[in-house]
Amino acid sequence: MLKELVALTRKIFSRDQEPDTPELEFAEVERLRLAFKSRYHSFKLLLTANGRVLEAMADMERALQGNESFSMSFVHTGCTSISVNVYRMIADMENIAPGKYSGLRESFLIIQRQIDALLGQKKDKTDKRLVIPLETITSEMTELAGGKMANLGDVKNRLHMNVPSGFVITAAAHDLFMSTDGLQKEVDRIFQVAGSDEDRNLDLVSSQIRQKMMVANIPEPIRLAVEEAYVHMKEQNGGQDVRLAVRSSAHGEDAKNSSFAGQYRSELNVAFPQFFYYYKQVMASKYSAQAITYKLNRGFRDEDIAMCVGVLAMVDAACGGVIYTRNPLDSKDDSIYINSTWGLPKTVVDGNDLCDLFVVQRDNDLTILRRDIRDKGYRFVCGGDEGCMRTEILGGENILPSLTDAQIQQLADLAIQIEQYYEGPQDIEWAIANDGKIYFLQSRPLQQVESVMPSIDFDLQQYDSLLLTEGGTNASPGVTSGIVFKVSKKVDILQFPEGAILVVEQALPTWAPLVARAAALITEQGGFAGHLANVAREFGIPALFGVKGAMTLVNNGDVVTVAADLGRVYRGCIEPLTHWKRPDAKLMLGSPVYETLRTVSRHIIPLHLLDPESRDFTPEKCLTFHDITRFVHEKSVHEMFRFGIDHSFSERSSKQLHYKVPMNWWILNLDDGLINEIKGKYVKLEDIASVPMLAFWDGFAAIPWDGPPMMDSKGMTSIMFRSTMNPDLVPGIRTKYADRNYFMISKDFCTLSSRLGYHFSTMEALVSERSGENYLGFKFKGGAADFERCMGRINFIKEILEKYGFRASVNADNLDARLEGRDMQFMKSRLNILGYLTLHTRQLDMIMGNQPLINYYMAKLTKDIDSLLEKAKRDQ
Amino acid sequence: MEKKQRGVKILLVDDEEIFLEATARQLGVRGFKVTTADSGEAALLLMHDTPPDVVVLDQQMPGMSGSETFVEMKRINPLVEVIILTGNTSVDNALELLKMGTFDYLMKPINIDDLLYKIEDAYTRKMLNEKQQ
Repeated sequence: MLKELVALTRKIFSRDQEPDTPELEFAEVERLRLAFKSRYHSFKLLLTANGRVLEAMADMERALQGNESFSMSFVHTGCTSISVNVYRMIADMENIAPGKYSGLRESFLIIQRQIDALLGQKKDKTDKRLVIPLETITSEMTELAGGKMANLGDVKNRLHMNVPSGFVITAAAHDLFMSTDGLQKEVDRIFQVAGSDEDRNLDLVSSQIRQKMMVANIPEPIRLAVEEAYVHMKEQNGGQDVRLAVRSSAHGEDAKNSSFAGQYRSELNVAFPQFFYYYKQVMASKYSAQAITYKLNRGFRDEDIAMCVGVLAMVDAACGGVIYTRNPLDSKDDSIYINSTWGLPKTVVDGNDLCDLFVVQRDNDLTILRRDIRDKGYRFVCGGDEGCMRTEILGGENILPSLTDAQIQQLADLAIQIEQYYEGPQDIEWAIANDGKIYFLQSRPLQQVESVMPSIDFDLQQYDSLLLTEGGTNASPGVTSGIVFKVSKKVDILQFPEGAILVVEQALPTWAPLVARAAALITEQGGFAGHLANVAREFGIPALFGVKGAMTLVNNGDVVTVAADLGRVYRGCIEPLTHWKRPDAKLMLGSPVYETLRTVSRHIIPLHLLDPESRDFTPEKCLTFHDITRFVHEKSVHEMFRFGIDHSFSERSSKQLHYKVPMNWWILNLDDGLINEIKGKYVKLEDIASVPMLAFWDGFAAIPWDGPPMMDSKGMTSIMFRSTMNPDLVPGIRTKYADRNYFMISKDFCTLSSRLGYHFSTMEALVSERSGENYLGFKFKGGAADFERCMGRINFIKEILEKYGFRASVNADNLDARLEGRDMQFMKSRLNILGYLTLHTRQLDMIMGNQPLINYYMAKLTKDIDSLLEKAKRDQ
Repeated sequence: MEKKQRGVKILLVDDEEIFLEATARQLGVRGFKVTTADSGEAALLLMHDTPPDVVVLDQQMPGMSGSETFVEMKRINPLVEVIILTGNTSVDNALELLKMGTFDYLMKPINIDDLLYKIEDAYTRKMLNEKQQ
C-alpha cells in the first residue's frame, strides 16, 4: 500500500506543479466541498470509533491480568462497545469508499457469531433428578450435587469412611425452584433496578431478593422427592425421626482457589417439619450481601451458580474441628494440623472462640509434635427442640485437651488417606460423636500461602519501642500498614474506608465482604482454621488473629503496622517492614467470568494483520476485531489521501509548506485545516488552522538541531557496513518508504508520515475540546545503524515517551506509543515533545553503543523537553 | 458546541421523569431546543408536530419499546438521527439497533459530555445527508 501511496503522492505533487487547472463551476465546487466534508465527517467518526475500540481492548487486557475483580456486566459492556464500534468503523469506511471493502462485513459477522456463541453458552442440564441419596454420589457429580457434597460422596463411597447418611437436593431442583412463579425474573429485575455493580446498595438488594425467596412456594415435585428421601433416612434409623444438618453445596463452593468459605448458610439440628423453611434459608443465602460481594470479587457469574443443598443426619458431637493436612502458611511444612474444640465444630469454622491445636508429624509413629491447649470458653451443642445452643464450659473442662492422643493419631491417619486420594493438601471438617465414632463432614482443597519473612537476619529490636502487642496468631502472612477502623456492628461496614486495617472482636464470616477492601485484619478471637482466615489468605491480606484486647488497644484513625508473620502490631508505619509483601493475589484467574473473558478476547484482541504491504492484508484475513480495526484504520487514511486525486479539485490537493523557505513538508487539507482556502502551491504556517499540526511544529522548530551526534568509530563502521548491505539505506535509490514528509490535516486532526534521515515515523493526533476523544499515536521504525543500535534508539525514545505519560510498546524494531483522553493543553504539550523528538533523535542510533554519550543525550533531550513544557505552561 | 449548532432540535424520550427533566435542563442551558416525551407513542405524535433533528431514545419503556419507536420514527422522517440509551442488562441489543440504523448508543447512567458529543456528531451527519439529497 505504501508504494501506491508514494505513486499517489507524486501524482498530487505533479498536478500541483502543472499550470492552473480549469476553473470549476460554483455548483460543482460546492458539490465537491460537500463530498469532501461528508467523507471527512465519516473519517472522523471512524477515528473516534477506533479510539473507543482500542480503549475497550486496553481495559480487557488489564482485566486479563487477573488482579482486579470484574463482573459479567463488564464482559458484556466491553464486548458490546467493541462490536458496536467495529461495526461503526465498517459503516464509516463504506461511506468513505463505497463498495470497495465489502468483505469486511462477512469477516465481522463470522467473528461476532463466535463471540455470541461464547457469551450465550449454557451448561448441559440433561440430568433432571431433584434429589440424590448420598450413597450414590461421587466427585464426578459436581454439576448436579455441588462441590461440597460431591467431595463428601467420594469420602463415603470410595474411601468408605464414616459420613452421616443423607441426600442432596440438586441443581435441577434449584433451577425448578427459581423458575417457578417467575422467581428468577424477579431476582434479575431487582438487580437491574439496583444499577451497576459499583452503584448498588448491596444490603437493600440482598434483603429484597431474600424476602422474595422466603415467601416463594416449594414446587410440589421437590417437596415429594425430599419427603421420599427423608422417609428412607428414617427407615435406616430404625424408624426414628432424624435431626438434620442442612448445608449449602453451591457451584464453585469448595473448589480449588475459591472456597466461598462461610459465605453461605448452614442450618444445624433441623427437625423435618421445619425443613423447607431452612431449605429456603440456605437457598436464599446465595444472595447474602457477603456472598454477592464474594462472587463479584472472585469472578463468578450469578447464572452459573446453582445452590445445591446437602442434607445430612446430625451428629451430636462430643468434639469436632478442622484438619489441615499441611501447614497452610508454609508449603515446606508437611505436618498435620488438627484444630479441635468441645462440642460441634462450629466454633472452629466460625472463628468465634479459641480452640486447641495439635500438630502431628508425618512419620510412621505419627508423632505428636505440639499440643496447644487453649481456654475454650464455650461449646455448641444440639438443642433439645432444634437448633444449637452455645453453653459455657465449666468445671475445668475448658482447659482440658479436647482430643486424646489416640484420637489425634487416628484423625491424622485418616486425613493422610483423604489427602492421598485427592492428591493434594486438604481442609477437612470432622466430628466425634458421643459414642467415639469419627465422622467426616467436609473435605476441600487447602490453600497454602508462603511466609513473607526475609531469609536474611533483620534487626527487629530497633522497632521494639513502637511495639503495641505481640503473640497473635498468623492467620494470613504479610506485613502492611494503614489506618485503623474498628467494626462491631454490621452498619459499620458501610463506613469502612478502602485500604484501612480492619479490627474486630470475633473472626466471623460476616466480615468477609470487608476483606477485599481492607489492607489487613486484626481480631481478638479466632484461629487460622476459621472461614475468615481462609478468605484473608485467598485475598492475600495479612491477618493477625487472637490479639488480646485489640479493640481497646487501638483507636479509629491510628496508624499501625501489622506484621502477621511476627504476630506483632506496631504503632505508626514502619516502612522497611512493609516491603515484606506477598505478591498481589490474582483473584480472578480461572474463575468462570475470567474464563469467559479470556475465551471471548481471543476473537477480539490478537492482531494478525501486521504488515500493510503483505498480500494477506485483506478483509478476508481479518480473524479478530483488532484485525478489522487495524485494516480499516490503515485503509481509511489511504482512501482519504486518495480521494483528493480522484477528484480534480485544487482546494484539496496537496501544498508545499513554506516556512522561511519552501520545505520538504507537504500538506493535504482534509476539511478545515487551513484558515482560508489557498489556490497557489505553497502554504505558510500562518495559513494553518490545524491545532495538532501547529503544536507538533512548535516542538519541531523550537530548538535548532545541533547536527549529527558525536559518533564513535564503531557507530560509523556499523552505518557504513549497513549502507553497503541494505539498498533501502542508499540515498538516491527509491525505497519503499515515502520520500517526502506529508501532513494530512483538519482543524483538530493531523497525521504525519515522515522520513528524516534513515528512520520512518508516523504521527496521528485528534485534539479538540472533546477531551474524552483526544488521542495521540506515534510509530517509529528503522535507522541506518545495525539492529542493536536501532533497537537502542527505539528503547531510548520509548523511555522518554513513557516518562511523559505515553503508553509505549516495542514489537521487533517498531515502536508504538499512544496517549488518549487528556485535555487540549496536555495533548498540545505532548505534540510539542513529538515534534522535538522527530528532529532531535535523528541519527542518534549511531551513538547507541556508547553509554556516556547515551547518558549525555538523555540528559540533554530531557532538559530541552522540560524547558519546552515550561514555556508551553507560561504561554497558556 | 459550536455556535452554528445552537438551536438544534432534540426530542428526548424516556419513561423516567427525573431523567427527562434533568437531561432536558442540561441540554437546554447549552442552547438546544428540547422537547420531551415519556413514551414511544407520545414521541411519535411529536415527530409530526415539532420535527426534531436528533432523537435521544430510551430502549426500555413500557408500551412501545425503543426499537419499535425507532422504526416508526424513521418511517415518518428517514433523515432523523436517533441515539439509543440502554441499561446494563440490555446493552447486548445495542449492535442490533445499530444495524437497524440508529446513529449510536449510550449506556445509562449517561455522562452529559458524551451525550453532547454524540448529539453534535448525529446533527452533523443529518445536515450533511440533507444537503446531499
